[in-house]
Amino acid sequence: MDASSHAVTRPRASRSYWLCQLGGWGLYCVAEAGLATKILHLPLGRTLLELAVYSALGMALTHMLRGLVRRRAWARLPLRALAPRILGTALLLSLPVAAVTNYLSIAALWVPDQLDLVNLHIPSAMIHQARGLILVLDVQALFTVWAVLYLTITSLRDQRSAALRQSELTRALHVAELRLLKSQLNPHFLFNSLNSVRALIADDPAGAQKAITQLARTLRYTLTAGREELVTLARELEIVEDYLALESLRFGERLRIERDLAPEAMGVRVPVMLLQTVVENAIKHGIAELPAGGDLRIVAALRGGTLHIDVENTRPEKTERIFRSEGEGVGLDNAAERLRLLFGAKANLDLDLSRVEVAVARIRIPDTA
Amino acid sequence: MKAMIVDDEPLARRELGRLLAEFAWIDIVAEAANVGEAAPLIEKLLPELLFLDIQMPGGTGFDLLERLEHLPRVVFTTAYDKHAVRAFEVNALDYLLKPIEPERLAAAVARAQAAATSTPSASATSATILERLFVRDGDRCWFVPLREVKLFTAEGNYVRLSWDKTHPLLGRPLASLEARLDPRQFFRANRQQVINLEYIESVDPGVNGLLHVQLRGGPEVQISRRQARLFRRLSSI
Repeated sequence: MDASSHAVTRPRASRSYWLCQLGGWGLYCVAEAGLATKILHLPLGRTLLELAVYSALGMALTHMLRGLVRRRAWARLPLRALAPRILGTALLLSLPVAAVTNYLSIAALWVPDQLDLVNLHIPSAMIHQARGLILVLDVQALFTVWAVLYLTITSLRDQRSAALRQSELTRALHVAELRLLKSQLNPHFLFNSLNSVRALIADDPAGAQKAITQLARTLRYTLTAGREELVTLARELEIVEDYLALESLRFGERLRIERDLAPEAMGVRVPVMLLQTVVENAIKHGIAELPAGGDLRIVAALRGGTLHIDVENTRPEKTERIFRSEGEGVGLDNAAERLRLLFGAKANLDLDLSRVEVAVARIRIPDTA
Repeated sequence: MKAMIVDDEPLARRELGRLLAEFAWIDIVAEAANVGEAAPLIEKLLPELLFLDIQMPGGTGFDLLERLEHLPRVVFTTAYDKHAVRAFEVNALDYLLKPIEPERLAAAVARAQAAATSTPSASATSATILERLFVRDGDRCWFVPLREVKLFTAEGNYVRLSWDKTHPLLGRPLASLEARLDPRQFFRANRQQVINLEYIESVDPGVNGLLHVQLRGGPEVQISRRQARLFRRLSSI
């Protein structure tokens, strides 16, 4: 994030900033007014008027200083680079203040007339310059203190809000991961598969062994899916096949699968669990809802540097309205969002429900290899 | 005891059948894979016990029960369905989670057997008279013994049952239900209402030959002029 965008995300000047400015200068005025009336015996009205002029000028110039600090992102400079900048700017800003103050009676607060400049062996010709120098140094010190205070307060505040943002981000990430894991584990599928395996143990021990292996592979793939974002289509298809073998056990002849997979598409890297999610969705809202079963068709092809995957399923005979309300495409929203985050506008996933008898999920992914 | 298994997964049916083979007195008379297959088989074979899956294509287990005229004792089966399990628990229904644990199955079967010996078997009584109905209203569901329903009120194509402080709505017209009620116990009071004679507290004559019937624990029901003549004739017998 650069300094300008930093400034955009935050309000131009917060309420607390102005409270500090007014409060700080106000306190300063009260203290100086006390000194001016007690020690110098200046009339109160004149003192207050002069202090108002002085602090208004100070406030205007420190506000400019603040602008500079923010624009140039001084908060991120090392002390070594920061110190000369602060001192230099404070000196520069103190010149007009000293010039004005020179004509005010309160100048005596910093350069008392009683000060015996003559006795300090300063040539009388230089007394005027010495008085000016003292004024300038005084105001510079004041501006330096202001800049240090400003940088300290803002950096403390930024540290706190950054820590807060970081913890919020971490939490959001954990919640998302958990939701992904839960949705991917699909307890309905898991327990039904376990039930199928149990049934197979007595009648078909070899089939039961195979099913256990497939279930273990599916679970392992799901549980480790978070580690890598992209896998080859060939790898993803291995797990889709394991999953389909288990669903075939459950659905028997009701699930009819057709594949049309181009060999050159196999090496394209795809988001892990994406095709799996789409196939599961097709089974859940297609075949599982059809008493006589239905067809599932997976087509993968590479055209013009883009991987095209179509997953088609027979749709149950329901009206469009009921269909939509049961969320045929809801499960795919997360998958589509993930695809968008990974590849931007070059990839997409959409569900075509325009045909009554067949639903088609279309995936487009650029071949990044 | 005649039993039937309704589940869309062939392996799940096979596994349950194998587990039930332990119980010699349970005779699995049929299996069905969905609601459409199951309903006619149940009406024809009149099983006393039904093992019923919830998630099935073309309609849930609950949908099947709402359609049935003959209502066997039901043990629900499900692999994972948070919503259904909540319904089972809220309404104290018998259910088994797949994969089914043999011990739990034994307990469910024992409960079914105990229930069968304490009440006359459904198939023993006349098949044309309804004894129980499965009623679902929102999240709640009940097996309602009809002789405990004190009043049936038509609401369009639905019927509101007044039963034990609850008033569930049944998804069928009053006319079709009335034909299956025991005429010795239920009486059509007017165009909208059928009353349970066993719940009558008092009968008072009204104007124009109407009758006012006070049911135990309320409400008061009016018997229309035409039906009042019939009512007097019946009660004089």
